[in-house]
Amino acid sequence: MYDQFETPEPDEAVKLALRRIEESTARGEGSDVDGLAFNEVVVNMGPQHPSTHGVLRLVVTLDGELVKDVIPVIGYLHRCKEKLAEKRTYFQYIPIVDRTEYLASINCEWAYVMTVEKLAGMQVTRRAEFIRVITGELMRIASHLVAVGTFTADLSPLGTAMVFYMFRDREIILDLMEELTGARMMFNYYRFGGVRYDLPDGWVEKCRDFLKMFPKKIKEYEALVDTNAVFLQRTQAKGVITQQDVVDYGITGPNARASGIDLDLRRTRPYSVYPELDFEVITAQHGDIFDRYRCRMDEMRESLKIIEQCLDMLPKGPVQLGSLRAPYVITPPPGSAYVGQENPRGEYGTYIESDGSRYPYRLKYRDPCFCNLQLFPKLLSGNKIADAVAISGSIDLVLGGIDR
Amino acid sequence: MGLQVGSNPMSMDAIAALLVERFAGELDDVRIQEPDTVVARCTPAKLKDVAARLKADADAGYETLNWIAGVDRGTSFESVYHVYSWKTNTYLELHVDLPRAKPEVDTVTGVWPAADWHERESWDMVGIVYTGHPDLRRILLKDDFVGHPLRKDYVDLAENHPHV
Repeated sequence: MYDQFETPEPDEAVKLALRRIEESTARGEGSDVDGLAFNEVVVNMGPQHPSTHGVLRLVVTLDGELVKDVIPVIGYLHRCKEKLAEKRTYFQYIPIVDRTEYLASINCEWAYVMTVEKLAGMQVTRRAEFIRVITGELMRIASHLVAVGTFTADLSPLGTAMVFYMFRDREIILDLMEELTGARMMFNYYRFGGVRYDLPDGWVEKCRDFLKMFPKKIKEYEALVDTNAVFLQRTQAKGVITQQDVVDYGITGPNARASGIDLDLRRTRPYSVYPELDFEVITAQHGDIFDRYRCRMDEMRESLKIIEQCLDMLPKGPVQLGSLRAPYVITPPPGSAYVGQENPRGEYGTYIESDGSRYPYRLKYRDPCFCNLQLFPKLLSGNKIADAVAISGSIDLVLGGIDR
Repeated sequence: MGLQVGSNPMSMDAIAALLVERFAGELDDVRIQEPDTVVARCTPAKLKDVAARLKADADAGYETLNWIAGVDRGTSFESVYHVYSWKTNTYLELHVDLPRAKPEVDTVTGVWPAADWHERESWDMVGIVYTGHPDLRRILLKDDFVGHPLRKDYVDLAENHPHV
């Protein structure tokens, strides 16, 4: 029988936190209030804490309200995806990629499919490239809606309204995607050399309706929080990511661009038909929470611009190379390839080594959230615990991608 | 605006030639993988020194570590470092061969701070020991997990994960 009064043995992360406290006390550091040698407390945040947006666990050392040290513990959602690749053919593995980063699963598929195409030297049909860009950008908007929505919900009561509005509008995108792919989140839609289905009748019109409606919604969101005094006070000049941090830790995506770096793989390492499209790389100056929020909002506008251009330019033709059916068995020549793709959260890439057989020899993910999370101890230390929640929300983590 | 992407654009041939010249005897097997990656090999003994100089290089300057992958090659292990040069906007893929009996290599956390978690992951999954790493614990699997699952000879046994 489980003994509810039993004190569980601390695990490695908690032991490490305690050891660090002992070390800092031995060095004579730490605040010395009322003659207490140290008054630091180790608090376990997560893995089921609502503001960690998933099963992230932070072992936080607190000094009063001040965060002294943070040790992230991950792996609660580990599903052995790299191991699974050893026993799946390239084709069978596509739906598994979907489930890594589930908020932007189509972008993950894209990175994987591009890597295999590079390994096997396959071409993609032009119409399929445009459909890929359209779906990828739609999911970028959907993903940013969840990111900003849940983040504002952590901050203030106003955000609770915001998260409902954003999920309401994300539903329209998911409906569009459902009509196209048959699934709302786990699409299994991209194929080597193309995509699975062509656009259904009337889809383009529905998509245009969404494009017409959505800019008004963005204005609505901005009217809700952009001038809100509570929101501004909690987000400005807090949780600053410096350019040095970006270089040291490999931060990518909106988190890097908010620090004033124009790093966007769609521009710096163009893939698909992005070179033909006209869009801006959104950057901000300060790298604080507010700038990261602003970057995401403006990126949604740019995504709308991209989708509109793609719908205008959409060529006729097949969406799949060769026959109507996708190539089920492909055997890329021995070698390795890595392709990075601009996921809503940063550079998402897969590294695949092939030994010439039907199965990948080694598959490795480069996940943006994994790299961004690594900055947490540095980013959160020295802040108040309430700000730590705001900062971690603004980084926009998806634990499915981190844990794989 | 301090940091710019691609402030010193160079052709892939020029970068490969530069690496061959400046790292003669240290980087072997330098070749270009189109469109944007230079692939090279390095011995584990020289890695730490080469990494520091790659980062500090005035022209290429591989300042950011993108990822590290451990690979089981059957007779040996391999630690693959994928690093990014902001100046030239290109990648370098550095392969380091490690003997199967003693898969040990110096840590590069002192050069690229991002290596911390990537090395932990590689240790967790493939069992490559990064000597000098400040905190080489398991990262994705549980603390009491036995074995390294991405090794090709790994056999999944119930006693490997006692808590399930």
